Amino acid sequence: MAMSKEAFLESAGLKGQVVDVWIAQEWLVPEQTPSGPRFREIDIARARLILELRAGLGANDAGIDVILHLMDQLHGMRQALDALRKHVGENRD
Amino acid sequence: MTSPYDVLGVVPGATAAEIQSAYRKLAKKLHPDLNPGDKAAEDKFKEVAAAYDLLGDADKRKRFDAGEIDAAGAERPPRQGYYRDYAGGPADHPYADASAYADFMDGDDIFADLLRRSQKGRANRRGADLHYRLEIAFADSIAGATRRITLPDGGTLDVKIPPGLVSGQVIRLKGKGAPGGGGAGDALIEVEVLADPRFTREGDDITLELPVSLGEAVLGSRVRVPTATGAVTMTVPKGSNTGTTLRLKGKGAPRRGGGFGDQLVRLKVVLPSPPDPALEAFVAGWAKGQAFNPREEA
Repeated sequence: MAMSKEAFLESAGLKGQVVDVWIAQEWLVPEQTPSGPRFREIDIARARLILELRAGLGANDAGIDVILHLMDQLHGMRQALDALRKHVGENRD
Repeated sequence: MTSPYDVLGVVPGATAAEIQSAYRKLAKKLHPDLNPGDKAAEDKFKEVAAAYDLLGDADKRKRFDAGEIDAAGAERPPRQGYYRDYAGGPADHPYADASAYADFMDGDDIFADLLRRSQKGRANRRGADLHYRLEIAFADSIAGATRRITLPDGGTLDVKIPPGLVSGQVIRLKGKGAPGGGGAGDALIEVEVLADPRFTREGDDITLELPVSLGEAVLGSRVRVPTATGAVTMTVPKGSNTGTTLRLKGKGAPRRGGGFGDQLVRLKVVLPSPPDPALEAFVAGWAKGQAFNPREEA
């Protein structure tokens, strides 16, 4: 279920300018459509995570940039590991 | 209920800085997104976050210490889902990143092969179809045309309108949608034909009402008639009337199976305005005309 920018701001509790900066930094990559960006649930969850990193955990912008990059790689690794786990499970004698 | 001070592992007299530091240490270990493999983290983090909501805010902490609010008052509404719940699913999202194991994919072992295949499956997904709307003139819908639309990203797309198109028809431009590893999606252009006050389309035929003068109707004439593909000359037979419909063969919309519909020209006799005294004098002295009652026929 994708939503417009306005609905997204409301769901994530954000201001428009902040989101524009985050998109420019590629922290958020909404789907681009002719009627403007569309945000998915994963974008909302990611925006909330960014807010928590900043407010509760005290990460600054440079830190958030690094954290998100490593986190995306971590999820990539988990995917790869999961694919391997399934493969091993299917091919066990 | 455990005291929020115990949850964070600080003494009731702790400074704000000590509370913040305790929270950050716990959050690092318990935040579900910082510990994607720890299923139990979520519940524990919820407790820690609630305690910090209370003690991390000087005003709320003061009221809690004074016994005005209890720890239950700081409970959070259920949270809608952590990032790991989405990023941990199928990797068909823009944040998927394989760079952490890219070097493992270069080998010729079974692991490298497996990684390459899972990566390829992801990359082979086709791009999304993009939807657009286009308004065209009635004449263009009959004769066909090429129209250029400007895309939101500043690019353009040339759309060929096939002759005979009707409102609501969708033109598919293969490969002009969003890019994707498995090829770009399609652009789908819904065309709206703007109404023309002169023409009405009924199936493959086009109807037009054509005003003619009394002289042209009574005596017959050759007149110019607009059609969707340009004006043509047509014969108005002698003795034509309002409502007389003439057929221009092949001047309608293109037929599906080949050939064209017709244009139906419905004549409308129009008297001169302002009224002409000579015509009035003629009609007044025209005995047969006075005797004719068109309502009797009906």
